Order: sequence, then structure tokens, then C-alpha cells
Amino acid sequence: MNHSLSASSQNARSPSHDGIPSLDAAGFEARVLRGHGPIAVEFMSYSCAYCGAMEPVLQQVAETLRSREPIFRVNVAVEVDLASAYEIEGTPTLVMFSEGQEVGRSEGLDPDAATVLEAVTAPFGMRR
Amino acid sequence: MNSASTGTAPGPATPILLFDDECAVCRRMARWVRGVARDSAGAPTVDVRAIGEDPEALRRLDPTLDIWKVYAKSHLLMPDGSILIAGEAVAEVLRRSPGMAWCAWLFSVRVFNGRPFQSLLDLGYVILSDVRPIFGCKSCGAPALWARPFAWIVKMANRLAGTKAQAPHRPNFTPRAAKAPQPPPSP
Repeated sequence: MNHSLSASSQNARSPSHDGIPSLDAAGFEARVLRGHGPIAVEFMSYSCAYCGAMEPVLQQVAETLRSREPIFRVNVAVEVDLASAYEIEGTPTLVMFSEGQEVGRSEGLDPDAATVLEAVTAPFGMRR
Repeated sequence: MNSASTGTAPGPATPILLFDDECAVCRRMARWVRGVARDSAGAPTVDVRAIGEDPEALRRLDPTLDIWKVYAKSHLLMPDGSILIAGEAVAEVLRRSPGMAWCAWLFSVRVFNGRPFQSLLDLGYVILSDVRPIFGCKSCGAPALWARPFAWIVKMANRLAGTKAQAPHRPNFTPRAAKAPQPPPSP
């Protein structure tokens, strides 16, 4: 028997048990494309070791920026169409949005807090 | 010891081995386990499942499972609710594989306060885990520092053998093209 764990409905997904909510296509539309102010989205996959290394750092950055810039997660293995629409070549890729428009992106960052904080705030000229 | 006990609900009727379906080495191992872990009637003695991409589905199996940790090391969910990890999981899978039981007893042998053969198995697990990127796991990250000379040797050998060159490695980045095609979900 070759079966994997079934994916639950992404659209009805409850908030993640962490500081970075996961978004499906509908959530992305509502919270990123129709969102206001600076927003960062990590395109990732749980099977990607680099995303695993980035995870605690991103949690820390999300906590630091909590009130100023929400950070979301999109799983490229599940949201294939979203990943293709944003031409995600690999993971992890951080894409920054403002008023629904992409304003910057960073790929293959060193997993340290200063680098990631700089990447997600620089496109907005935010003072840290 | 690489094990965890949840102490909550009982586990599955058949032990569940969770493996990384994005990793070519892990897929080969999983295929092998599916072949050997069968009783005399041919029924599986270990339920081999891909980890998948849904943390909630994992937590439904056991609330203590963290998908990042499950991707980092093999996890075996036991009927008594405990979870065996890495080399301990491998030893238990061998114990439950009739054709391999001849060697599995070794891992329980105690010398003074230690289990030397289990320690060797644990070491073997770490080594294999560290070299997975050399043998076709693009999502496993970079080879461990000690394994990088071997990665270079394999790269040079492939070049001499005229094997198609792989795309240059980008640090901290897993190309999407490297992701293995997902098998269709079972009915």
C-alpha cells in the first residue's frame, strides 16, 4: 500500500499552532492581495530542509514584527498554482507585498534573524 | 534513547513508519521495508507512509508530532503509543521483518550499560542522513561538513563518467524542479 497522509482542506484550515498562519489560495487572496500595509509571505515546503532551518528564525522575526508586518506561509507543494503564478523557483522564497502588489523578494537566505529581518523590512524602508 | 512516549491514546494497530517521500534515498528504503516487513501470510507488519505536507494530519496520528522534526528523522509510531526515532525506529522495523529478525536481536544486546550494536546502528543512521544529499535528495539540504569532500568526489566522478551535469547548487535553496512527483493518493 502506498498512501500518504491525506491533506486536510486548506481553505477551512484552522490557524497554525505557530506565529505564522498558513494560507491557501482563498486566504492568499483575502489576506495578501486585498490586505493593506506591508505583508511578507514565505513560499515553503515542509520537506525542504532549508525551510526547516529557516522556521525558528522566521518565527522570531514574525514575533518581532507582529504589529507592523504580518508574515504568512504558503506551501508550494499544496498551493502549486499560487507558486506557479508567482514564479517561485524554489524554497524558501520570501515575497513582500504592499497593497496586493509584490514589492520585493529574497531567495536562499542565510537562516539568521538579522538577515531575514532585513529581507522582510527593506522593501518597505521600515526602521527596525 | 531516541524514543518518546506520548502517554495519551494508544497507538495504531500496526506500527506506522513515516518517511520523507521527497528524498530518493528514503523512498528506496521505504520500498525495501514494504517488501521485507510482512508476516507469513504476506500482511504488512509495518505500515509505511509518506509524511506528506499536512501538519494537522500528522497531529491527528499523534498530537505530539511536529512535522519539521518528522522530516528531520524517521519516526515509527508504535501500538503502545510510544514513538521510536532514527536508529531505534530502524531496529524495530528490522525486528518486525521476519527475514531480518536474525540480525535484529543484536541491537538489544547489552554490554555493561550500553547497547554497542544499537550505537553502531545509530551512527550508521546519522552517516546516511548526512550523505543523503549526495545520493539524490535535493530537499535534504547541503551534505554535512564532513561529507562535503565525498560530495565533491562524486561530482567529479560523474563528470568523468560523462553523466549529465546537475544544476549548480544554490546555498539555502531547494529548487522546485528537484521535487519528486507526488504519487497519486490511494483510495
